[in-house]
Amino acid sequence: MPPLVMNPLKEHDSTLLAAVAAGDRRALEQLYLSYHRRLARFLSRFTSRYENVEEIINDTFMVVWQHAKDFRHASQVSTWIIGIAYRTALKSLRQQKNLGFPPDAEALAETSTDPTGETETQDWVMQGLRQLPLEQRFTLELAYHLGHSLEEIAAITDSPVGTVKARMFHAREKLRRSLPQLGGGGEL
Amino acid sequence: MNGTANQLHEHREVSELIPWYVNARIGDADRQRVDAHLRDCAECRGELQLQRQVHAAITADPGIEYMPTASLKRLQARLDGLDATPDAAARASGADRPGQRSMRWGRSMAASIAVMALAIGILAAGLWTRYQVHARPLDYFTVTTAAAHPPQEVIRAVFAPATTLVELQSILDEAQLRIVSGPSEAGVYSLAANSSLSVSASLGLLRTHAAVRFAEASGPAAAADHPQ
Repeated sequence: MPPLVMNPLKEHDSTLLAAVAAGDRRALEQLYLSYHRRLARFLSRFTSRYENVEEIINDTFMVVWQHAKDFRHASQVSTWIIGIAYRTALKSLRQQKNLGFPPDAEALAETSTDPTGETETQDWVMQGLRQLPLEQRFTLELAYHLGHSLEEIAAITDSPVGTVKARMFHAREKLRRSLPQLGGGGEL
Repeated sequence: MNGTANQLHEHREVSELIPWYVNARIGDADRQRVDAHLRDCAECRGELQLQRQVHAAITADPGIEYMPTASLKRLQARLDGLDATPDAAARASGADRPGQRSMRWGRSMAASIAVMALAIGILAAGLWTRYQVHARPLDYFTVTTAAAHPPQEVIRAVFAPATTLVELQSILDEAQLRIVSGPSEAGVYSLAANSSLSVSASLGLLRTHAAVRFAEASGPAAAADHPQ
C-alpha cells in the first residue's frame, strides 16, 4: 500500500484551508470529506467504536474551523490536521481508559484464530500494539499506517525528533518482546 | 577502542532509522548510510526483517471504512450551533465581567424569544410543506421511503470505498458526468450529464471501471434514453 500521506492535492488543501480561514463552510466540508476516510481508518485501529471515531474527527474539524486563520504554513496542511487529530485522539482515548472502557474490547474479543499464517501474524502484531503506551503506538502507526517521515511525526506530535526516535525505539523493543510470546513459537 | 565506539554509535543511529527505511520515507543520504551498515550488521538485518513484517501486518489491515455523510451532518449541526450562539465560547471560557451579566440576561431573553419564534415558524413551515408537491428530501429514510432525487440526476452510482478523489474525478470526466449530490447514507451518488452524451453511453463508460460498484439510470432519464 502506498503511503497515504503522499497527498497529490497539497495545493488544493492549502486553498481550501485559506477559504476556511475566511469563513467558508463549503470549503470546510470539502476538506472534511477529503480527510474523513484517512482519519477514520487510522483511528479505527485505536478504537472499534464508530461514535468515538466520529467524535474525534468532528472535534478535530471544529478546531480546524476555529483555528484555520492561525495556520502559518510552517508545515503541510495534512500534517497540521493530523496533528490536531492526534492530540484530540490522545485526550479522548485517555478519558475512555480512565472511565474503565478498554478501547479495543470488541476487537480483542474478535481476534481470530485463523490458521493461515498471514492473518495470524496480523493478530499477533495487533495484540502487541495494544500493549504499547499510546504515544509509542501512535508513533509506530503514524510511520507504518499513515507513512509519515520522522520529521513529520515530530511536527504532528509537537515533539523533538529525539523524542520521536526514543518512542519508536521503545515501541519496537516492547513489540519484539511481546511477539514471540503471542506467537508461541518464538518466531514472527 | 575508538573505532569500536564509533561503530557502536553508527549501529545505534542506523538502527533508529530502520522504521523510515522500511516505510520509504528516508532521505537519500540516510538510505545509503543504512544500506552500507546493513551489509556488515547481521543484527540490523534481523531487525529490518522483523520491522518489514510488522509494517506488512499493519498496512495489510487498512482499518474500517466509514461513510462520512452522517458524521458531516452532525458536524454541520455543531457549526450551526456555534453560529446561533456567537458568545457561547466566551461564556464557556471567560468569567463574568462587571456590567455584562444584565446584558447577557437581556440577550438570553431575546434569544429565548427568538427560539420560540423560530419554533413556531418551523412548525408552520412544516405544516405548509406537507402540501407541497416538490417536498425537500427527507433528512432520514426508512426502507419503505422512496428516495428523492435531484432534478438534474440522470444516473445513480456507487463507487468502491478505496476510490480516491482523483480517480473519481477521472471516471466522471470520461463518462462526461458530474456529481449533483451524494454520497447518501448508502454511498449512492447522484450524477448529472455534463454534455449531450447519451445516458446509456455514460452508463457504459462508467461500468467499464472496476471502481464503479453499481450504476443505473434514474427513472425518467432512463425512459427518455430508451423509448418504447
